[in-house]
Amino acid sequence: MKKILSMILASVMVLSLLAACGSKPQDPPAQDNPPKQEDNTPANDDKTPDAEPSEPEATGSITVAALASGYEEAYPGMWQEVCDAFTAQTGIAVNLICDKSLEDVIGPSMQGGEFPDVIHLATGREKGLTEQFIKDRNIADLNDVLSMTVPGESAKVSDKIVGGFTDTSVTNPYDDGHTYLAPMFYSPCGLFYNAGIFEEKGWSVPATWDEMWELADKAAAEDIALFTYPTTGYFDAFLYALMYSVGGPDFYNKALRYEEGIWDTPEAKQCFDIIAKLASYTNPVTPAQANDQDFTQNQQLVLDNKALFMPNGTWIVGEMAEAPRADGFKWGMTALPAAKAGGNGASYCWMEQAWIPAGAPNMDAAKQFVAFLYSDAACAIFAKGGAIQPVIGVAEGMEGDNKMFYSIYDNGADAAMGSFAAYNAVAGLGTVREVFLDPVNGLVNGSITEEQWIADVKAASDQMRANIMG
Amino acid sequence: MRRSKDRSIFIALCVAPAAILFFIFMVLPTLNVFRMSLFERGAYSPTETFVGLNNFKVLFQDAKFIASMQNTILLIVTVTLITFFFAILFAAILTREKIKGQNFFRVIFYIPNILSVVVIAGIFSAIYKPENGMLNSILSFISGRDVMILWKDQQMVIISIIIAMVWQAIGYYMVMYMASMSAVPADLYESASLDGAGRIAQFFQITLPLIWTNIRTTLTFFIISTINMAFLFVKAMVAKGMADVGLSFMYAQKDAGLYGYSMAAGVVIFLFSFLLSAMVNKVTKRDVLEM
Repeated sequence: MKKILSMILASVMVLSLLAACGSKPQDPPAQDNPPKQEDNTPANDDKTPDAEPSEPEATGSITVAALASGYEEAYPGMWQEVCDAFTAQTGIAVNLICDKSLEDVIGPSMQGGEFPDVIHLATGREKGLTEQFIKDRNIADLNDVLSMTVPGESAKVSDKIVGGFTDTSVTNPYDDGHTYLAPMFYSPCGLFYNAGIFEEKGWSVPATWDEMWELADKAAAEDIALFTYPTTGYFDAFLYALMYSVGGPDFYNKALRYEEGIWDTPEAKQCFDIIAKLASYTNPVTPAQANDQDFTQNQQLVLDNKALFMPNGTWIVGEMAEAPRADGFKWGMTALPAAKAGGNGASYCWMEQAWIPAGAPNMDAAKQFVAFLYSDAACAIFAKGGAIQPVIGVAEGMEGDNKMFYSIYDNGADAAMGSFAAYNAVAGLGTVREVFLDPVNGLVNGSITEEQWIADVKAASDQMRANIMG
Repeated sequence: MRRSKDRSIFIALCVAPAAILFFIFMVLPTLNVFRMSLFERGAYSPTETFVGLNNFKVLFQDAKFIASMQNTILLIVTVTLITFFFAILFAAILTREKIKGQNFFRVIFYIPNILSVVVIAGIFSAIYKPENGMLNSILSFISGRDVMILWKDQQMVIISIIIAMVWQAIGYYMVMYMASMSAVPADLYESASLDGAGRIAQFFQITLPLIWTNIRTTLTFFIISTINMAFLFVKAMVAKGMADVGLSFMYAQKDAGLYGYSMAAGVVIFLFSFLLSAMVNKVTKRDVLEM
């Protein structure tokens, strides 16, 4: 009796193992993590009557994968609400995958050849998933989306997007006039500081780098370091804005394409010098905390008046909302100072992207979804989470800190957009972050010199130029 | 005759499920890793190009890979030596000496092992914090002046990782050795002490030889797991690029869109750990003593 029982149990075990690996289901992959959706949308159960995936409707369904960033945190259920609005408008059901580490959730099934229909995930993340799709030319062309009519409205997509946002290297990676990545949430990046201490000490926010160094000495007398940074990754926006303010658009665009000799120009030298000098004024504990575990402690340095400035984005206010802070603390944000007196400062416009993988199974519905992201309804929902899209009229309804941040360009700062050109990955050649940004830690702790850094940048840049795409 | 045939069919049937699963889920993927290391492709792209051994050629000239393998070896050697020294020492003290609260210590030492690496990274983040961190505060208290050691900065980063890894591993191995030490018959120690052997002589003449098989096995386990653990600790604790180990190099290449290249690194690390275990096995070979 016992024997039979154990035999049955054993065979059940083996069978279930085989069953688990055998049947790659036809169900959409979103089925794998329904709990996430449930706790995001406690109240929306009644709104999704056609979420039954086993019986596809005539109108079909799509899978949308969106990064749950700070915006989703500020307004939980933001993406689900947009998806529901899309379903209500078009009748196409949406399976939403929304996760903080989206790469880990959708990565494995994509390696197995199953792609979501729409992915909202920006470039510049550590896992570089979007960059990999760009390098593999694995992204669908979105040019026809721009000429589509927004579902439920009469305007065309291209008429709604603010001019200039669909022809930067962030959206058109191959420089061929085709848009592959739809511009989504944007936010100005700059130097964040405690406006309270500036008032208290009677300091003014420096407008040029010379004033910045003067301020550094004044602050040092009070035992405050001039500068800190969360991690070296935050230098990307910083470097872009610096190159733009020092060399202007011409130099900037050449540098982004790694033009021959560009790093030998006086403009480039000035950029390197400024970063190296800034490194010497950086709070010395910074590199020890510049990792994913401790970066908030570096941000805390600004809140505690142990460092004056840090490069960051507008999400910092929400991210550090719970953190203790010095008396009279008030967030301030400034563009990077001008390279010389009378010049303009610059602020990098950081932009997230939504895109369609070339292997998306429901291409047409996916394109409708991307078009719908620019509808007034979607913009209004995103705005509740503080996510601002480059859609005409959206920025006008802002208030509070956000209003101050987004007015940075009205106050005379130049907007830098775009990113380093995509290049074919070559074994042994590092990423842009490894080559350009990570060495800043070494500059601060003295493990490399400025000359070494420049030499490495030049050598890598030559290889990048040789493998540039497009 | 018929009986033995039945028997082998039965055995084959019993072994088949495990063997098939092992083949599908272990052997095939491993072979696939070797195959992919000869190609270049993105992780998500369907197209691949054959590049032969080029990935390996570049790999052995890649300064970053060499540096990360050096870090790996450094961690394996130091963490293994320190962990085994303390694990054996503590196990000997806890089994052979009469100490109050033995079980208490056993539990305390074991706890780090059941914590996930993320939790450990959080704990050590508080310990290593430059300002008001636990370690710097204690050092300041002892020395009577302000100690400001940047534990996670370039100069100290490897030492910080070693400390965390040793702290995490000691308990598990200590419990392993305690188990085998308590199996050593007490009369051996009695007769040894009658012959005038002191505690230290007893340890080297009786305890160590009798648990040697255990040490050998755990040593192999430990070296293989250290390759993995080093990656997890480095990934969770310190900034990218400061103390990269072999596996973090591998992942970084994958994220840079060089799937084949990262597989080549994987192959080298695989062979490396295989050879290292074989070497350790060979070097530590002794005649097995019966109790």
